[in-house]
This record gives sequence, structure tokens and C-alpha cells, in this order.
Amino acid sequence: MRRCVSRKTGQTNSTEATDLFRSASSKASSKEMERTDNLFYSYANKSSGLIDPEGIESLCSDLEVNHTDVRILMLAWKMKAEKQGYFTLEEWRRGLKGLRVDTINKLKKALPELEKEVRRPSNFAEFYSYGFRYCLTEEKQKSVDIESVCELLDLVLGSQFRAQVDYLIEYLKVQTDYKVINLDQWMGFYRFCNEISFPDFSNYDPNLAWPLILDNFVEWMKEKQT
Amino acid sequence: MSNQKKRNFQIEAFKHRVVVDPKYAEKTWNILEHAIHEIYNHNASGLSFEELYRNAYNMVLHKFGDKLYSGLVTTMTLHLKEISKSIEAAQGGLFLEELNRKWNDHNKALQMIRDILMYMDRTYIPSTHKTPVHELGLNLWRDNIIRCNKIQTRLLNTLLELVQRERTGEVINRGLMRNIIKMLMDLGSSVYQEDFEKPFLEVSAEFYRGESQAFIECCDCGEYLKKAERRLNEEMERVTHYLDAKSEEKITNVVEKEMIANHMLRLVHMENSGLVNMLLDDKYEDLGRMYNLFRRVPNGLLTIREVMTSHLRETGKQLVSDPERLKDPVEFVQRLLDEKDKYDNIISSAFNNDKTFQNALNSSFEYFINLNPRSPEFISLFVDDKLRKGLKGVTEEDVETILDKVMMLFRYLQEKDVFEKYYKQHLAKRLLSGKTVSDDAERSLIVKLKTECGYQFTSKLEGMFTDMKTSQDTMQGFYASHPELGDSRTLVVQVLTTGSWPTQPSVTCNLPAEMSVLCEKFRSYYLGTHTGRRLSWQTNMGTADIKASFGKGQKHELNVSTYQMCVLMLFNNSDRLSYKEIEQATDIPAPDLKRCLQSMACVKGKNVLRKEPMSKDIGEDDAFFVNDKFTSKFYKVKIGTVVAQKESEPEKQETRQRVEEDRKPQIEAAVVRIMKSRRVLDHNNVIAEVTKQLQSRFLANPTVIKKRIESLIERDFLERDNVDRKLYRYLA
Repeated sequence: MRRCVSRKTGQTNSTEATDLFRSASSKASSKEMERTDNLFYSYANKSSGLIDPEGIESLCSDLEVNHTDVRILMLAWKMKAEKQGYFTLEEWRRGLKGLRVDTINKLKKALPELEKEVRRPSNFAEFYSYGFRYCLTEEKQKSVDIESVCELLDLVLGSQFRAQVDYLIEYLKVQTDYKVINLDQWMGFYRFCNEISFPDFSNYDPNLAWPLILDNFVEWMKEKQT
Repeated sequence: MSNQKKRNFQIEAFKHRVVVDPKYAEKTWNILEHAIHEIYNHNASGLSFEELYRNAYNMVLHKFGDKLYSGLVTTMTLHLKEISKSIEAAQGGLFLEELNRKWNDHNKALQMIRDILMYMDRTYIPSTHKTPVHELGLNLWRDNIIRCNKIQTRLLNTLLELVQRERTGEVINRGLMRNIIKMLMDLGSSVYQEDFEKPFLEVSAEFYRGESQAFIECCDCGEYLKKAERRLNEEMERVTHYLDAKSEEKITNVVEKEMIANHMLRLVHMENSGLVNMLLDDKYEDLGRMYNLFRRVPNGLLTIREVMTSHLRETGKQLVSDPERLKDPVEFVQRLLDEKDKYDNIISSAFNNDKTFQNALNSSFEYFINLNPRSPEFISLFVDDKLRKGLKGVTEEDVETILDKVMMLFRYLQEKDVFEKYYKQHLAKRLLSGKTVSDDAERSLIVKLKTECGYQFTSKLEGMFTDMKTSQDTMQGFYASHPELGDSRTLVVQVLTTGSWPTQPSVTCNLPAEMSVLCEKFRSYYLGTHTGRRLSWQTNMGTADIKASFGKGQKHELNVSTYQMCVLMLFNNSDRLSYKEIEQATDIPAPDLKRCLQSMACVKGKNVLRKEPMSKDIGEDDAFFVNDKFTSKFYKVKIGTVVAQKESEPEKQETRQRVEEDRKPQIEAAVVRIMKSRRVLDHNNVIAEVTKQLQSRFLANPTVIKKRIESLIERDFLERDNVDRKLYRYLA
């Protein structure tokens, strides 16, 4: 009888245990969520409910990275942040969940892993074009001014294509034909760095559909080289 | 009953037994051999053909064909050996004659022998596969005479020597030559080729190599060509006289190679007499000769064409870039036309109207005309000049010819849209100032432009003509509805459709009160009949006739521009006006005002105003007076405005910029048209098709096209393919 009861109890226990476990896990996730949200609110502006540039600045100092560091841009990419200088709660949750972190320390530790993820070729092109779109702050804005483009270029391609980026930036600053760069030209730069042998341009064919600005760049480089 | 057998009957041939005399063959052959001897000794008259034929027939019939055939060979060989000796013995010039005579003899003899032995020829020879009698006779002749050691070389040398003598101008016995050559040909084409033709060609090549070398050292190009042509004709003549017709091609090839092909470049580039000099001096005859001779050798015409093209391009380039020429556009275009005429004549009279040469001419003109970016402007100015005054007293056909020639130059232009821009400006000036000489000529040119470039190109030009016509009607209506204005038409208005005319947005100046009243009347009349329109006065484009009296009561009628009229009218009320006062009263833009004052105060003979201080330029502090001392021997005085006929530098750039701006939408439209129909297309093909679509108007620059494509990508008309970056996709 007892046995029976005990078995019953055991049964009850086991159901209770699964329930417990379920509630514990949901509790854990809700706890995680809570921690994530708390973290968000610790940086967010009280009135707008967003992490604004100021908030990002203090986030950066907590993460011990410069706010112009490429990793911040990568973080924004992970969050799929839409507006430059701002993170919404939704974006924040998406990003931190994706990185499986909920504290500032974990976030800090996750950054190198994030960088590896972004540098994977399958992600990098998307990240590269995201970087450009991230700079489009106005509605219907389709192009970015030369100065910002130079900074962005240095940020995203600088470590990978140092020489190309340096010359490209130098050229962009001396040329007078273009005041802004559009997405097509921006994507052209990446393709150029990836595909074209530098600095001899031996496989560069101006008859192919390179954006004109790159034709001009190559011409400028060749003139410089002679 | 049915078992009865059929019996076969056999009929046996009747056997005729002939007992043959054992010596029969010997005897019969002796008769025949004797006959052959007699034939060779010209004693055939005593022979009986019937008897000999029968004997030969019987020999074959009695299976003595072998004996007969071999006997023939031996006998004939024997005779030929004798003949050979007698030919060898012939001295000097008699050699060929002896050979010829013996050859004729042999032929006759052969004829008779063949007749006698006809039966053998027909039955024995085919069955034993031996050589027929006639051919045998020729072969024996060849082997015993022609190829006999002592004759073979002598014959060849004699023949070659005769040819050589003929080449140096001596007269030779061509009949004899012909017979001997004929003999060689009769002996088979291989004999002719081996024993004569081959060495003949070799010797000829050597001869002409030497001769051409000597000629080229001492003759000029024209003379050399004459000599070469003569030599070529001589050789062809020689062939018709005494060589095998098939040799013509071979010997002419030799002459062509030695005399022309080997010296082609040296001839073409010969100093002071080469191709360029011929072109310069219009030497049609020499050029024609060169064309006809060079045509015969590989790359000959190509060489001429290339030299002509590069010369043409060089001179053309000088022509269009000579700063002296640029001063006078009419002269500039005239020179181009003259140059074109010159080469047209050369090609038609010397180069057989060769299409490839015409193409070379066209591409050269296209090349250098477009080297000068002002060519479209100049061509338009040339037409302007012709249509203003140049065509006075010229017949209608001549007008057409000139216009056709201009159109030809127009066709060479790559930037036809630039021409259109200028043409519009010049036409506007002509129409508004009433300067066109011939309405027919004007319209004829428009029609030509239309056929060349399509409706779109000329629609605005035609609009200008329509405006002129409509304005006449409008003026009639205006004066009919205002009878109080009387018959004298004080105001003539031309209503110009915006867009059709090259109008500049101009500030309207202040018209004199007398004028503005009239203008108001017209405005209300016009707007009353045409609702929903806007009129603005282009005071910078009008003219006026005003009556003026000067110091000694002299009266003149002055033909002036609207601006000048406004200024002069001010002097009705005051004697002295400062520049500032004039500027204030008229509101004419400063540069225009200065120009208009300059033309009235500083040009001798037209100085109806007097300026203080006297100087050539207008200063802001100058003062103006009516020039009481103005005199002119004419009652009507036309006061021009100091204008540069050609455009000034900023104007030029402005026109250029306008053209470039106008091209952008055209290029974009072309790209969209193409992409819309093709959906996906690679970069190079887009460029090629756009260029093709637009070439009737201008030559689209690939860089500019690329820029437009990029702009279309930016505006989401197109996108690049994700994988193949050369491809563009149309985004619907």
C-alpha cells in the first residue's frame, strides 16, 4: 500500500518536477529577459525609452571599447539596429539573445566571438552593406558624404585591405567629381578590394561595369605610379 | 505428246583455209618500209594508197601486227635521226627555219603513214595498249629531235634570245616563233612547260628584276609606272602573238611581282613624285596608272589606300587646327568642301570610283572634322552666310548643289545635336532680322536635315517657320481690329513659341512711352484672341526704324535695334545724358547697353551720338550727346550692333553645357528603352546599343553613358546582377 502510495507520490513528484523544471526554465528565461531588459534600461534615456548616443557612450566605456570601434558597428549589425546612434528595446533583445548574453560582462566576453562571426565571408558582405545603410540617417537619403564614407571605409575594411583603403581615402579626398557616395559605389569598393590585384591593377578592365569612380581611381593611381 | 523434244540446230562457220607464204610477212613489210622511205623522201606520188593499206591490213590480220609496229618505230626513228643531223647542221638563224620545215615534213609524213596504217591504229593498237601512230610520231620527234642533246639547249637559247631581242626593241620573225612554240605545244603541254615556259619565266624574272632596279634608280614614280605599264602590255601582247594563252597569267605575274610588288613601298613613298605628290598635284593619269597596276598585286590597293588615308588625315588635321583658319568659319568650311571635291574627283577619275577608297575618304573626313569641336558651329555659320547673302544670283540647281555638299559635311559630324543648337540660333537671327535670301533654300535644307535625322531633329526648326507665318496673319488681324492706327505699321510683332526658339530669359527693358502704348494694345488684342497664353517681350531681339534730323536739317532714317531705339528716344527730351541716366531710364542690362552705346557713339560713319570723353570703350562716367555733325551719304543708315559673329568664350561654354545637359535625358531614355526590352544585358552591350541608337544625333561618350547607368541604378531603374557584376537588370 505504502509502496503504492509512494509510487503515486513518486508519480506526482515526477509531474511536479517536470512542471517545476518547466517553470524554472521559463523562469530562467524570463529572468534572463529581465536582466537583459534591466541592462537596457540602465543605458536607456528615461524619456524616450531608447538607448541614445549618450547611452551608447556609457555602454562603450563599460565594455571598455571606443565608441568608434568597429565592434560597436558589429553589435549594431547583430541587433539589426535601424537608426544610427540609437538602440530600441526590441533591437537590444534581438542582439543580446543572438549572442546569448545578459550581462555587461558576458557581452564584453562575447565581442571577440562576434567579430569572428562577422568576419566570416558569408556574413561580411551583408555587414559591409549594413554599415553603409546604417549611415543613412535621413528619410529617402541614398548616399553618404565623402568624409563619413572615408571613416566608414577605414573602419570596416581598414584591417583587411590597409593599402587599398589608404589610397582610396586619399583619392576620395582629393577628387572633386563626387561629393557623396551611393550604395552601388560603396559595394563596388568592396568588390574592388576583393577582386582586383593591388597595386598593379593587372586584372582591372575599365570596360567592365565598374562604377566610374573606380575607373577614375585606377587612372589616378596609375598616374601616381608613373 | 508433250514429250516431243525440241532440237537445237547449230550452224558452223565456214572455215576458209589460207595457206600463208612463210615469207609473206617479210615481203609485205619490205613493201611498207619502202613506202615509208619514199614518203620521207617526198616521193609519195608514185605510191598506191590502196595497195599499202591492204598490205598493212593483211599483216595485222595475219597476226603480224607486232612486226609491223616495231618496224614502224625503227624506220621512223631512223629517219628522225637523219633529220636531227640536218637540223644540227643548220647555221645560226637558219636553225629555227630548218627545224620548222622538218617539223612540217614530219607532220605530213606522219599523216600519210597514219592513213596507211589506219587498220593497225584501229584494231592492233587498242588491243595491245600501244601508242597510236600519230602520238608515236610526236613522241619520237620529241625524243629524237627536241630532246636530242645538241638541239635541246640550242633551241631554248635561240628562243629566249629572240624574246630578249624583241624586248630590247628589235623586230623578230614572230610567225616562225609562233610555229615553233606551236610545235612545242603540240608535243604536249608538259613539253611546252618544261622545255620553254619554265626557263622563259625564270629568265624574264631575272630580266625584270634587273630592269626595275635600273628604272627605280633613275626614274620618278610616274615615269617608272609608265614603263612598268608598257612592259606589262608588251608581255601580254607577246602572249597573244606567239605564246600559249595560259602563259599570260604567269608572265604577267612575273612582271607584276618584279616591277611592282617588289618596289611598291619605295614607289609610293618616292620623294617628290610619290603618291602624296600625285595627290597634291591632282595627277589623275599617274594616279589612275598606279591604281591599275597596284590592283594587280596583293595588298597593292591597300598600300595606296593607307598612304592616301594617312595623308588625308594629316592635311585634314592641319586644316581644322590651323588657328588662322579658325578666324573665318566660312573660309574654313569652304576649304573642307574644296578638299572633299578634290578627292572626289581623284577617286572618280583615277581610282575607278572604288568603294573602298570612298569609304576611306569618308572615314578620314569624319576623323578630322570631329577633331575640331567647333566644326558643327562653323558648318552652321557657313550655311548662315550662304543663306544670308552668298546665294544671291545663284541658280536654284547651284543652291541645291551647295546645300547637298554641306549636308555631306554634316553627315560626318558626330555631334549633330551641337549643329542643331547652332543652326537654331543662326536661323532665328536670320528669320527675325528678315535676312534670309531664299525661303525655298531654307526649307530645302530643313527637308534635307529631316531626311537625314528624322522628324524630331527638325520639328522645332519647322516650328520657327510656322511662327513666322502665323505672326504675319496675327499682325493683319491686329491692324484690322484697330483701324485708328492707320495703314503705316508702326509695330510689327513676331510671336515666338517658347521652346521652338533659342530665346534667352531676358529682362524686358523700359520701352519708350509711344511704344509701350502700342505694345499694350497688341497684348490685349492677342490675349483676347488666344486665351490662356502668356506674352513676354524679347526686347533684345527686335529692330526699329526711326526718323531723325541732325544739325543742318539733315534727315535720316536709322535702322537700329530695339535697345538702340530706346536709347535714342531718350534724346528727344534732353541733349545730354550720362551713362547712369541712360541705364536708369532704359533698364537695359549693362553689357548690352554698353555694346549698343558703343555701336552708336564709337563706330565711324554710324556715330549718331557723341561721347565725352572720346574713347573706344564705354565707361560708367561717360556722357552722351546727339552728334549734330553726323553725316552720311545715304538716307537710310543701318546702325549695326557690335557683335562677335562667332561666339565668345563664355557663350561657347554655355552652349556646350546646354548640349551636355540635353544629352543626359536622351542617354537615359535610350538605356531604359534598351533595358526595358532586353530585361538583362551586360555592360558592353548596353554601351554599344546606346551608342548605336544615338549616333544619328551625337556620339555618346562611354563614360557619360556609364554615369547615366549609375544614376539609373541609384534611382532604382536598374540593378546589378548579384553574381555576374557585368550584367544589369531592368527593374519594372
